[in-house]
Amino acid sequence: MIRALLALLALVSAAPLCAEALGTTNHITPTLVAESATPAPGSRITLAFAMKPDATWHGYWKNPGDAGMETLVDWKADKRLAFGPLQYPVPETLMIAGIMNYVYEHDYAMLVTLDVPKGIAPGTTLPIEAKLDWLACNPSVCVPETKTLTITLTVGDGHVDPAEAARFDHWRAALPRPLGSPAHFQIAGKSFRLEIPLPAAAATDKPYFFPLTDKVVDYSAPQSVTREGDRLVVEATAKDGAKPGSVEGVLRLGPQGGVAFTATPGTVAAATAVGASEGRDQSVIVATLVALGGAILGGLLLNIMPCVFPILSLKALSLARSGKSEADARGEAVAYTIGVVAVCVALGAILLVLRGLGQLAGWAFQLQDVRVILALLVLVSAIAFNLAGLFELPAITGGDSLAAKGGKAGAFWTGALAAFVATPCAGPFLGVALGTAVLLPAPAAIAVFAGLGFGLALPFLLLGFVPALRNRLPKPGAWMDRLRRILSIPMFLTALGLAWIAGRQAGVDGMAAALAAALVFVFGLWWVGRRQAAFKTGAWWPLVPALLIAGAIAAVMPHTAPAAATVAEAGHEPFGEPRLAALRAEGRPVLLYFTADWCLTCKVNEKVAIERPEVAQAFAAKKVAVMVGDWTNGDPAISRFLSAHGRSGVPFYLWYPAGGGEPRELPQVLTPGMLAALPA
Amino acid sequence: MRTPILGLAMLAIAAPAVTSATAEVPIGALAPDFTLADAAGKPVTLAAFKGKTVVLEWNNPGCPFVQKHYGSGNMQKTQRAAGAQGVVWLTINSGAPGKQGHMNGTEAAAFVKAQKASPNAYLLDPEGKVGHLYAAKTTPHMYVIDPAGRLAYQGGIDDKPTANPADIASARNMVLAALGDMKAGRKVAVTESRAYGCTVKYAG
Repeated sequence: MIRALLALLALVSAAPLCAEALGTTNHITPTLVAESATPAPGSRITLAFAMKPDATWHGYWKNPGDAGMETLVDWKADKRLAFGPLQYPVPETLMIAGIMNYVYEHDYAMLVTLDVPKGIAPGTTLPIEAKLDWLACNPSVCVPETKTLTITLTVGDGHVDPAEAARFDHWRAALPRPLGSPAHFQIAGKSFRLEIPLPAAAATDKPYFFPLTDKVVDYSAPQSVTREGDRLVVEATAKDGAKPGSVEGVLRLGPQGGVAFTATPGTVAAATAVGASEGRDQSVIVATLVALGGAILGGLLLNIMPCVFPILSLKALSLARSGKSEADARGEAVAYTIGVVAVCVALGAILLVLRGLGQLAGWAFQLQDVRVILALLVLVSAIAFNLAGLFELPAITGGDSLAAKGGKAGAFWTGALAAFVATPCAGPFLGVALGTAVLLPAPAAIAVFAGLGFGLALPFLLLGFVPALRNRLPKPGAWMDRLRRILSIPMFLTALGLAWIAGRQAGVDGMAAALAAALVFVFGLWWVGRRQAAFKTGAWWPLVPALLIAGAIAAVMPHTAPAAATVAEAGHEPFGEPRLAALRAEGRPVLLYFTADWCLTCKVNEKVAIERPEVAQAFAAKKVAVMVGDWTNGDPAISRFLSAHGRSGVPFYLWYPAGGGEPRELPQVLTPGMLAALPA
Repeated sequence: MRTPILGLAMLAIAAPAVTSATAEVPIGALAPDFTLADAAGKPVTLAAFKGKTVVLEWNNPGCPFVQKHYGSGNMQKTQRAAGAQGVVWLTINSGAPGKQGHMNGTEAAAFVKAQKASPNAYLLDPEGKVGHLYAAKTTPHMYVIDPAGRLAYQGGIDDKPTANPADIASARNMVLAALGDMKAGRKVAVTESRAYGCTVKYAG
């Protein structure tokens, strides 16, 4: 009693210093909600603590990081009710003055499962009281907050209001999903390495490892996350003397969530051959040099890609054909190189700025906007028709009229054009190497982009500076026109590819609009060609209206694909309970499987068992329907289905035999033989 | 082609430097020396206490967790128990000017008096230099340095990370436990625990 009084006195005396802390209103407002107000006996329902932080305030994850506090709940309810632990959504990192906090800076909800026992009579009222203690902080003040929340359930039919279901689905989607595959960690001195199996095709966006097990890693030290094939390696700084038997944690995959796992000790190979103990400056230099070498080599290889090869080869031939002096040849080669390098560096610089602004951009980032695709389509179509002979473009083919006066300028613009049209080819080809470049310090990254350009320009540069090479080019002649026509084919193919991308991005309407714009522009060029053939001055003016019309089409074309554009794996239907019921009513056997892009076991099973031709044949013979549930983004309908089957994660395989009957659960490791032998 | 490029990429990805802003002092390592002004403006140097056990306490009077331990008298009780063993107690405030809990010398002296606290000195670290030196993260955050100048304990004051004063009665006071082990000539049983409380309100 005396102690309590003293405490009160002391608190009052400290009051002027912490007036804010003693405020009566909470900075995070909690609400307790039940998914069903009338749960059925023997059922499991979900309760939610919906937390609403004031602006600039945040609440904490279960492991708060370097400072903070986990949320505690104290239940008072009928003894027969069984409450599960608090389930937290994937948190965010918040670094304040070098101290790492794992927090939520927006509305969030912690979920709890509640098991209602079988023997409880319908109509029984179940008052529930939850005393919730949590910590609310803003960047300058922390306040422990508390609230006692109450809710009354009545045992009944288990009805769930659809609006409530949608809200709970939204919250469930924010929870980390259990990773089906085994993860490992290794601690050596200061180095903590964690290996998580993750299919190479699974997309991640700023992945981050949130450790639940305390005293294993230094939270404030930066992490490095590397993807190598089907493994993701997190490298972090280990705490001194850390010797955990297992490490629990959550890996954030991106804004749409993450995966939860428990890693066991094992051997984790370093993600790189560069030892962590080496001087960092030195390793940056090494990495830069290596990336630079790779970029030059990659640029060199780009010359044989369909979008670049015609431009280069014709430019090279024109150089040989023009019979220019040594100095002119060198000048043109240098101008071409400058053009290439300038465009590569410019694109690289834009990429770095976009990355700096926090946008998810990769090389060929410009290809993510359908309007850029349209511009490239128009450009590539124009080049293709030029090669096909519709009109003359001096910059590329060294057309006779402008060759003499426009040599160097023409070479520069040819180089710029070559670099620009090379990017669609570079995307899949150099993506990883260039992705690396953006992680280097900016000057080093720019050097790598310049290296790419240098590599791309290298053949032409050599031709310009080594007369012997130029002399070995075949003698000019009528065959060159034939070659030019032939080289238009890869260009047309490139245009076809771009049209396809436009279609992927903006649907059939977008593709049609892009093709229309290209068509209008080509009509303009045709007209230009007619005027050129007639030796008219100002042969180029018809391009003005053509460009205007093409631009207008670009402005009005749709920019996003219709939602229905995503198509499931051929022959595999997307999961849906009504469709499943319909298939079963037809008496067909059904293989239902659940997968996720981040689930390696799932992907392996698909590749080695489900998608095998012999399985497809066996299934076709027995009229087996295959249904796929993609849980990558935590589809709530799938979450509900999984939990109804007592599962919390993927992979999950169910076999519904023909003519009804109970589904059979298949093991997590599938073989083609096993699938083919399933009794229909 | 693809594999070498991948390899190169991996090389480069791992390259960015991995260094912590504040390096923690490992248990058993020499506690770094420092000099700070006390509430009266007099410089106090850690090295001067060589041969004695020293407790460092990070303080922010505005922090509810600090209030839990001062309001209940738990921190003062711990200070008196340490003092009775001849242990030196240094309370350190790393709150930056303008942030919660920052105090000048006069305010600090008034706080010590009002709380009937008994540290050997209340030290002011407005730039957070010593806080970062010890990687102090929360208030309170406790450190025990043995007579040889080596770090013997770091972490929370007790093992009940809540703001509720009622929890003190059932909590294990980790500082007193460490001091007790040292006094009895035993190895300190628990050398580290999770420091809990408010984030130290560093500058920046």
